[in-house]
Amino acid sequence: MIITQHVTKYFGGFPAVQDVSFEIHQGEIVGFLGQNGAGKTTLMRILTSYLPASSGVVLIDGEDMAGNSLSIRKKIGYLPETPPLYTNMTVKDYLKFAAEIKDVPVKQQRHRLDKVLEECQLVNVQGKAIGTLSKGYKQRVGIAQAIIHEPKILILDEPTSGLDPIQILQVRDLIKNLRNERTVLLSTHILSEIEQIAQRVLIIRAGQIIVDDTLDALLSVPGAAPDGRSTLEDVFVRCHQKSHEVSGE
Amino acid sequence: MNKILAIASKELSVYFKSPIAYIILILTIAIFNVFFFTIIDQEREASLKSVFQVMEFMFIFLVPILTMRIFSEERSTGTIELLMTAPLSNTAIVLGKYIGVLFFFSIIIGMTFVYYGIVEYFGQPDRMTIFIGYVGIWLEGAFFLAVGMMTSSWSCNQIVSAITSYAILFLIYFSISFIKYFSGPAEAVIRQMSTWTHLENFSSGLITVGDVVYYLSGILVCLALTRFSIENRLWR
Repeated sequence: MIITQHVTKYFGGFPAVQDVSFEIHQGEIVGFLGQNGAGKTTLMRILTSYLPASSGVVLIDGEDMAGNSLSIRKKIGYLPETPPLYTNMTVKDYLKFAAEIKDVPVKQQRHRLDKVLEECQLVNVQGKAIGTLSKGYKQRVGIAQAIIHEPKILILDEPTSGLDPIQILQVRDLIKNLRNERTVLLSTHILSEIEQIAQRVLIIRAGQIIVDDTLDALLSVPGAAPDGRSTLEDVFVRCHQKSHEVSGE
Repeated sequence: MNKILAIASKELSVYFKSPIAYIILILTIAIFNVFFFTIIDQEREASLKSVFQVMEFMFIFLVPILTMRIFSEERSTGTIELLMTAPLSNTAIVLGKYIGVLFFFSIIIGMTFVYYGIVEYFGQPDRMTIFIGYVGIWLEGAFFLAVGMMTSSWSCNQIVSAITSYAILFLIYFSISFIKYFSGPAEAVIRQMSTWTHLENFSSGLITVGDVVYYLSGILVCLALTRFSIENRLWR
């Protein structure tokens, strides 16, 4: 579904993403981990065609990003790190606008709007200006705009950051419910979250993918968890330490 | 096309959902009214020629306030990511935003139609001259808006955008003031570059191909440069 081959992105002389290759299959939920500044957001921006890669190939659903970015964008729902919200629009107007620019057929707009309002539990705030909503609601409006055109692929950049525990549960359930229909790539700093919803994990460090494995395989290594297996935290810390040693830092 | 209109109506609603739109409309029309009264009172002529020239001068100050947010705000709040990852061509984004702000500007022009009503009621103005004057002032505003939108695409800071467009608008408007220091081809270039020269013809009731081409090509160049700027993310 998502294939990247030797993708590299330079900002000036600084390599933010270096020679990244991986493949994500249809229906997978992939957790994307890395320290701050490791290149997660940059890579997600490349996958959503917001930024062009300096070199390398990105294939989405069989189409090359280089020549088909408009048709690829219809297949992707994207929640950036900061939800892209117009604060003085109402939730309903905003989502209607999102549906319009994302090529939702006019006849279906009404239906899709009702559906996402329901799914993201926004029905009771639909008439309120987005600027007056709490952070959790804003985040859910952000998710609603990402799924309103029923994309095949969802790319979520820290969807649960800043939410309270109940809201985190709700967002997590929402993502789980999407599992059957969509391919999901999500980044987060909350490792337990990945353990609960992802099937596969990518870890990026200094612009390079250092781990690409299924969650089960990663956790089956003996470690500190009560059942004798590793926790994702162990894995995360271990592979960062390992690469420190390798690079002699 | 539907998507262009969706963006245009979103732009308009952004203006009207904040107090900015109402403040700008009321303030502009209040200032215009004062000038209209002063001019008519002094000249005692059933003509809007001087009124158009004052409006042109006022638009230099007004337009950057209208346009500074167009791209700068989207960039600083991150909403540009929504537009640039939606299946929208860059041309559609630029045109949608331009049509939106142009419509808002047209409301301001529309409100001044009452001046025509007043001179028509109290005198016998030349209707054609006034109509052509309105076409001229509208084209001039449309050109200023395109300049403002272009500078807005250069920076994520609204103040920087506004000041840059003030600089460009001042340059093209006031360049005529320095014409006495030049001669030969330089003089001709400066005369043709200044908006003042071109609006002069319109406000006297004269439509020439050269003036229309000046405004339309100015608008097209600015829109093309705006598209180029967002396509290449020059604000980074």
